[in-house]
Amino acid sequence: MSELDCEQVLEMVWEYLDGEIDEVQYRGIHTHIEKCGDCGPRYEFQRKLMALVERKCQEGPIPADLKQRLFQLLKE
Amino acid sequence: MGAVALAEQVPIPASADRQQFEQMVEEHLNGLFGAALRMTRNRTNAEDLLQETFLRAWRSFHTFRPGTNARAWLYRILMNAYIDNYRKATREPEVVDQDDVDEFYLYSKVQESDQYRRAGNPEEAFLQTLMDADVKAALESLPEAFRAVVMLADIDGFSYKEIAEILSIPIGTVMSRLHRGRKQLQVALWEYARRARYVDGARPQPPESRSKDRPSAGEGRR
Repeated sequence: MSELDCEQVLEMVWEYLDGEIDEVQYRGIHTHIEKCGDCGPRYEFQRKLMALVERKCQEGPIPADLKQRLFQLLKE
Repeated sequence: MGAVALAEQVPIPASADRQQFEQMVEEHLNGLFGAALRMTRNRTNAEDLLQETFLRAWRSFHTFRPGTNARAWLYRILMNAYIDNYRKATREPEVVDQDDVDEFYLYSKVQESDQYRRAGNPEEAFLQTLMDADVKAALESLPEAFRAVVMLADIDGFSYKEIAEILSIPIGTVMSRLHRGRKQLQVALWEYARRARYVDGARPQPPESRSKDRPSAGEGRR
């Protein structure tokens, strides 16, 4: 397989982060990111950003009274 | 619809089914509640949506095949209930087309910012300024078609294929909405971060201060 260039890598960075690419591509991108001074930091930033979005948008557990009301619906 | 009216309409599954149903749903209630909040952007509507989802799921529980993806099945019911009850009558405009924005919009903004560069590690400095409320508000500012895919992928961690099934759209559409939604999310996050700094009385605006701030501060906030 020919080596990927930066443009190709950056185009696939979301699919890479999402684990939605095949293994060969995955390895190609992984290798590129490890050694590329341009793509590496960009990838790292996107990764941290998405982790932060995931973390900050979590809600606490569903309120107990709401949960109780839901299950009550089944008993009426 | 009350549970009584419901009982008259459909044969109620046996109580053994009820137990199974309760077990299956309970595991996913927290996630469904969060998704209802993100989609409706409103606590009361989120509770109503969750109740509707719960009842719909119970009504069609006999069609659920054990061993298949319960979580995706429930989210699909939730999204359908959302579309039936809450989708705006007029199609939301797809607003600004972000095709001129690249995938690394935020990264570039942060790198260009004197303020963050001064911090030594601009990326970390930026990420640390983001508050929970800013991130939620930024997500909630996305048009619903984009909000849905970004939420399902980035918060609930569904695969493209699962999202396609949940929303009944092709995988290609999932991917393009996800790309565009994530771009818009980055633009929104940058705006919220700028505003937050301004409010904090921290250093004045970065150089690219634009006048296109949309007056959306109070809209849809809880």
